[in-house]
Amino acid sequence: MLGSTNKIGKYYVYGSTLISAFIVFLIFTILLINSWDAISIIGLDLLSFKWNAATGEFGILPMLFGTFVVTFISLLIAVPLGIYTAIFTSEILPSKYRFVVKSLLELLAGIPSIIFGLIGIAFFSIWIQDIFNLQSGRTILTAGILLSIMILPTIITLTDDAFHHIPDKYRESAKGLGLYKFEIIKEILIPIAKPDLKAAILLAFGRALGETMAVMLVIGSIDKIPEPIYNWLSPGQTITSKLGREIAETSFGSVHFSAMIFMGLLLFILVLILTILSQNSLKSSNGRLYE
Amino acid sequence: MNRKLQNNLFYASVGIAVFVCSLILLFLFGIIIWNGLPALSLDFLTNTSAEFGASGGIVYQIFGSILLIIFAALICLPIALGTAIYKSEYLKNDTVHKIINTLIYSLNGIPSVIFGIFGLIFFVNILNMGISWFVGSIILSMMILPTVTLSTYQSINSIPTVYRESSSALGLNKWQVIVQVLLPQGFSGAITGLLIGIARAIGETAPIMFIATAFSGVEFPSSFLEPVSTLPTHILALAQQATNPAALQNAWGASLVLVILVIIFSISALFIRLRHQTISKR
Repeated sequence: MLGSTNKIGKYYVYGSTLISAFIVFLIFTILLINSWDAISIIGLDLLSFKWNAATGEFGILPMLFGTFVVTFISLLIAVPLGIYTAIFTSEILPSKYRFVVKSLLELLAGIPSIIFGLIGIAFFSIWIQDIFNLQSGRTILTAGILLSIMILPTIITLTDDAFHHIPDKYRESAKGLGLYKFEIIKEILIPIAKPDLKAAILLAFGRALGETMAVMLVIGSIDKIPEPIYNWLSPGQTITSKLGREIAETSFGSVHFSAMIFMGLLLFILVLILTILSQNSLKSSNGRLYE
Repeated sequence: MNRKLQNNLFYASVGIAVFVCSLILLFLFGIIIWNGLPALSLDFLTNTSAEFGASGGIVYQIFGSILLIIFAALICLPIALGTAIYKSEYLKNDTVHKIINTLIYSLNGIPSVIFGIFGLIFFVNILNMGISWFVGSIILSMMILPTVTLSTYQSINSIPTVYRESSSALGLNKWQVIVQVLLPQGFSGAITGLLIGIARAIGETAPIMFIATAFSGVEFPSSFLEPVSTLPTHILALAQQATNPAALQNAWGASLVLVILVIIFSISALFIRLRHQTISKR
């Protein structure tokens, strides 16, 4: 009896580990199989500029462009803002307030993305519309700004942790040599924390690529690369917003559906690479999960 | 440039960044509370929605959200426990450990909309389950699996080896050691992970909007294979008719309720973690 529960227990833990490990493969396989139609029928035409389901043109470049520009804008704003703020919370603010800051950040990170979307519609898009005198405030820039706020807590928390892990003796010896705070941070702390900072930025990058709801509501959803290409005050489309808006109305098994899944597969692979890179970069492999 | 000047410039830019971040934080919470409070009332919480959400309440939405996350937690817990025990107690090979870790981190990184289209293809179309709340629960359980697994693993793995050795010396076999010595300790880690996972899952829209929810005509489901309405998808539907002020008002009300639910789950996770820490320090 005792031996058999021991065995059943062993099968149970093996089984659950297999299931956990299997899910990623299952998702990948399902996406690959369902995008195969698009890859074989449309082929290289997937990499063109025109998406028109009625005429059978499925060029994904506008969506790729939108995805990267929106992510680029969000990182451009959030990385400097986040790193400077993290320097304040870890190096200047007395550490007894650290708990408060961490809780506030967790609170901010916990706001569901749909609520950011609502705030984007009700405020940001209207502000952008008024400031730049546009017909509609739902633009690539609006989505980028909104996204930057959403990834800010990730960057601040991870950067703060990175600085916090550096032992105090580095700061003390540098101070003893007569360096100013700015010099200590620039010459000593940042070089030490560099791998962790890289991981933080990569993770934020991955999160920004995959963000759906907020972007979908404020980006305007036009499948075109703006004219000229740097005109970010025009509506655009990202992979996620395209999937979110169209997938439910596409019939399962059609080439259209398959082309959509192909974009999903692309996004999946991109984010996977970023996640793995950032986990490798994260020296402190203490098993903590950074979302 | 003068060193002192440089230092002061640096302090100034840090100050500006902190000011901007605080402003953002204040703005976000101010907006959610300011716009949400007028919509909140007992009627709003206990009535069903009418006129496509423009009037009435959100009782079905609250019920749907809670139903989804409860089942997601129930599905996730046994698998996460098993994986954590395997990782901590059975697995000796370093390479396999690394591979499993990579897979878990990858699962955690997958964008939520990908889970949505995966569910749409696999459960709704291939397994032909149709749009149902149970499919939504399964998908959400996949999303929170990494969080729960790693949190459980940490608490089981941090139990000192002495406990394992002394209970083995008393004649317990491996499984008895796990069930009677390690699990009672590790359980708080699992619950913490579950609460953190739930706090994230309850606000997710993208994974469930194609596969588990319908906007109108939803009542309490009588079987596993019926759609429900949830708070996030309700907010989405209302946000898309942003020109109608009554609908927007209700969207803010639903948002405040959703944020409060998220905060309740996060704070309970925090309390359990803190309590457990003080116990293990004794």
